[in-house]
Amino acid sequence: MNPDQYFVFIVDDDPSMRRSLESLLRSVGLTPRSFESAHDFLLAERPEAPSCLVLDVRLPGRSGLEFQRELINSGVSLPIIFITGHGDIPMSVAAMKAGAVEFLTKPFRDQDFLDAVHRGIGYDRDRREKSAILADLQERFKSLTPREREVMALVVAGRLNKQIAAELQLSEITVKVHRARVMFKMRAKSLPDLVRIADRLTADSLKS
Amino acid sequence: MLKPVSEMPDDQKFLVSTVPPSREQTRLAAWVMLVLLLALIATVPFARVPLDNTEVLLPAYATAVLMSELITSALLFVLFSIQRSRAVLVLAIGYAFTALMIGPWVLTFPGVFGASGLLDAGLQGTALIAAVRRIGFPLFVLGYAALKDAGPTARDMRGPAHRVILGSLASVVAAVCGLTWLSVTGDEVLPRLMADNSQVSEVWRYVPASASVLCLAALALLWFRRRSVLDLWLMVVLCVWLIETFLLAYLSAGRFSIGWWAGRIYGLTSASTVMLVLLSETTALYARLARSVSAERRIREGRLTTLEVLSASIAHEVNQPLASMVTHADAGLRWLERRSPDLDEAKAALKSIVSDGHRAAKIIESVRMAFRKGTQDRIPLNINELIQEVLAHTRSEVRLNRVSIQAELNGRLPLVIGNPVQLQQVLFNLITNAIDAMSSVTDRARVLRIRSELHKPDSIMVSVEDVGIGLDAEHKDKIFEPFFTTKSHGLGMGLMICQSIIEAHGGRLWMMNNIPQGAAFHFTLPAELA
Repeated sequence: MNPDQYFVFIVDDDPSMRRSLESLLRSVGLTPRSFESAHDFLLAERPEAPSCLVLDVRLPGRSGLEFQRELINSGVSLPIIFITGHGDIPMSVAAMKAGAVEFLTKPFRDQDFLDAVHRGIGYDRDRREKSAILADLQERFKSLTPREREVMALVVAGRLNKQIAAELQLSEITVKVHRARVMFKMRAKSLPDLVRIADRLTADSLKS
Repeated sequence: MLKPVSEMPDDQKFLVSTVPPSREQTRLAAWVMLVLLLALIATVPFARVPLDNTEVLLPAYATAVLMSELITSALLFVLFSIQRSRAVLVLAIGYAFTALMIGPWVLTFPGVFGASGLLDAGLQGTALIAAVRRIGFPLFVLGYAALKDAGPTARDMRGPAHRVILGSLASVVAAVCGLTWLSVTGDEVLPRLMADNSQVSEVWRYVPASASVLCLAALALLWFRRRSVLDLWLMVVLCVWLIETFLLAYLSAGRFSIGWWAGRIYGLTSASTVMLVLLSETTALYARLARSVSAERRIREGRLTTLEVLSASIAHEVNQPLASMVTHADAGLRWLERRSPDLDEAKAALKSIVSDGHRAAKIIESVRMAFRKGTQDRIPLNINELIQEVLAHTRSEVRLNRVSIQAELNGRLPLVIGNPVQLQQVLFNLITNAIDAMSSVTDRARVLRIRSELHKPDSIMVSVEDVGIGLDAEHKDKIFEPFFTTKSHGLGMGLMICQSIIEAHGGRLWMMNNIPQGAAFHFTLPAELA
């Protein structure tokens, strides 16, 4: 993907600071979108592309840390880079613990800032890719019939066709057909491949 | 001449013998006088009715007088040891003397402990003791009044206080013993004060007359030199003493009549009055001291946070444009270093750097203004005048926002000690906040109510109330924290600094929701000690 399809959201109440960050990000080919307040940011539509959020700790109405909590609670998993004029250690620890990418004290070195932004975008891209793959796998799994799902579960558990046939009271031939359909629908090249796919799906269902 | 309180050493400003009476105390003294006068008038018609066999009550009366006068004397001696005022010493000696003289008086009193008293004094002995007491007390008060404006006597009172006190007590005891001995043994040489056991002679007439004259003289002197709580109550005591003398000498029908007993009760009243005043004042002063110690501690802590807050605010405010400048410069460099340099972007970055530089300079200038000379000085202020001045300054903003002002200023407030610039800053901040809070109000009249009132006897309260959007419970706790703001252009410093200023003045600033809508900010300031 092109860098100019990477978005960086900026929330800072200082207009000059916003302009300077925009200019810096544009100079390296990223696409900045800046907002005066957290409220404006929430109202805006966000493009479905790898992105990260640059957040000033001191915001009108509420602090950046509170806003971070709100975002996490509402399921927005955007990597956050905090910038602050008066950072202290407890504040940065709290931010990092809540999953911030970086906590920078103004004025910061531009390279530190850009590194953090790229790292944030990297995380977001990975996350997006992972969730895309997972969505794809779930899609495939949904296309299985109930019987095929049963067969898949037993295959992944390491049972032989004969054992599966006995357990489901089917003929071995039928099991083989189901098994081939499972391999095809799940686009698994081999048995270990199918086991890996099954692992990913169960890990995700455990998570949710 | 009245001496300004401020010339006294600090630790003596609050003593009962130096602190001026409050309006309440003066009123109370007047009431006490009125009641006693009414009691006197009520007694007059029955003054001559004799009360037989009431001699037995005399020892109880004497004990009561002895105790209260001794306690008073002890309290006055303690007062002397702190203030080292010769006037107070004279008064303490006076009380000790009259207290101790009551002993021989009751012991020699005919008919109480045997027909001619326990100490076998003649007829004249008891009368002599009574005469010395009657004339002695106003004499001592006169001495006090005459000496009280002599100024601090540190020069000649430098010796240890306890030695002076012990010496005085020894002299008093010696004088009392001497007089007792004289009255017991020298009946023949004594003046004929009594005609018989209950009737006085012609010579006695001189005693109440001279006592009254002395009383009046002391009263007059105290009246012109009155300054302290002690002076006020001593005047009451002298009046009571005068009434007592009058009753005993001119209205009663000799010993043990109603008039005579009434006079005795007056005597007891006068003895207890000063004691009660001294005790209550001591306790009140103790409470006041405890309060001022804690207030002082608050002020010290307040100052510390003010400094911290100010430095944090300066650092933050200057840092903001600095950070922006650095980032603009970085961006500009990157635009120039590109394979095809973008001069327009670089130029825009440089322009922003210039404006950020000016912004930083403005912040530094405003900080300098805040610290400029004079912001530390404190003077007595009329808070209402201050409010009016700030209202005059905000008039254009008020008109622009179509806000109507309701000022309810109590014109009879005491002065406060404070820094006019800082307090104006507080008022200005609260008023502009209130106006801002109502800027989005369209469905009701925008009313800003500002009130000044007496909070407690020793503090005033100013309230600034709006009918604006008010504050959520969640924000309410945070408004005094640094960097908290609900405005898009606020620094989040205003209320925090206001609070620091008010607390540094020994007051308190808090916020409540206004009913039915809006916010109400209140602050208190301690009144100047009148």
